[in-house]
Amino acid sequence: MSVTFAVTVGILMGIAFGFFLEKSRVFEPGIIVGQMQLRSFIMLKVFLTAVATGAVVLAVLNGLGLVSLHLKPALYAADIVGGLLLGVGIALAGACPGTTLAQIGVGYRDAIFTLLGGLAGAVAFSYLQPWLSGTVFAAGDGKLSFADLAGIPYWQGALGLAVVLAVVLVGLERWRPWRSEIGANADGDLGAPPAEGIARPVPGKPQLRVHG
Amino acid sequence: MVALTDKAWSPYVAGVLIGLLQIPAFLLIATALGASSSFVTVGGGLFGLADPSILEIDYVAKHVAMTGKNWWQVALVGGVAVGAFLSALMSRSLRRGVSPIWARALGTPSKPARYAVAFVAGFLMLFGARLADGCTSGHGLSGVAQLAVGSTVAVAAMFVGGIATAVLLLRRI
Repeated sequence: MSVTFAVTVGILMGIAFGFFLEKSRVFEPGIIVGQMQLRSFIMLKVFLTAVATGAVVLAVLNGLGLVSLHLKPALYAADIVGGLLLGVGIALAGACPGTTLAQIGVGYRDAIFTLLGGLAGAVAFSYLQPWLSGTVFAAGDGKLSFADLAGIPYWQGALGLAVVLAVVLVGLERWRPWRSEIGANADGDLGAPPAEGIARPVPGKPQLRVHG
Repeated sequence: MVALTDKAWSPYVAGVLIGLLQIPAFLLIATALGASSSFVTVGGGLFGLADPSILEIDYVAKHVAMTGKNWWQVALVGGVAVGAFLSALMSRSLRRGVSPIWARALGTPSKPARYAVAFVAGFLMLFGARLADGCTSGHGLSGVAQLAVGSTVAVAAMFVGGIATAVLLLRRI
């Protein structure tokens, strides 16, 4: 695989990725913060749908022997501490590493600072990495998958996951229809929250009915 | 049903399309979708101009090497900005300044305050992602779909950190 080919594929895939991220609205700070405050669930809907789709795709490709999997090793301390820091950053940025670039593309000015902070964070980690590689952060179980733990082939586990996620998504959509969570300007801004103690009708939730 | 000029697509339609991007990633590049490694490739490469010794760190040398995978991901992440721009242009939803939610979430309309928070947020996000060896794409989209135990732990921690911060540190939007 030549670098020129890989970069060409990367640009085309990136344009498609950015286009879909923008259409999904998951790059909007209001959607990310809304999800983390459990006020809206668009981020979870996009994320779980993409995971389920990826699982089906990989079940087929890997099941037919066309591709091998690329699992990251399980490094529990690193996964937990790194994941927590990543989560703190996502809430304060209103973005993930990838969607920061989508925010820059559509014109959000603060995303430039998120990007610069991200590059600084990656550089800071790089300086510490040789030291960290001798600590608990490099300890783990290797490339472990839940299919291995269950003793079943990957494709069975992946299709099982996709079915479970599909059921969860149907439930999520019935509970909170996505159109009610987008906001008037499609930015996840649903207006100021209601004052404490005042009941607010939950969109999509059936009203209480008195049976006669 | 879905038009290029729509402001928003159903999260299910967009999610399926994002998930399908695993096909070219696995078939053409022999890798999974990911985004955060590219910050080491670009950050390490740029910082190497000021301090060439950073390029001697194995971890950085591995990420800045002229390999297809390294530069595929840099191109992918750069392409995301272009794709999002084109989509917003077609739907007339290009943005200016900062999202209106920040004045409420941070309790101040100050732009410099938002820029400072964004910088710190970016730092934590990429430091954390590199420590965990993946982000919402690499661990989230790709790792969970591959049933990876470590990725599932990382994604759970990510939501715990995100929800705790958004509830305790930010004001309700």
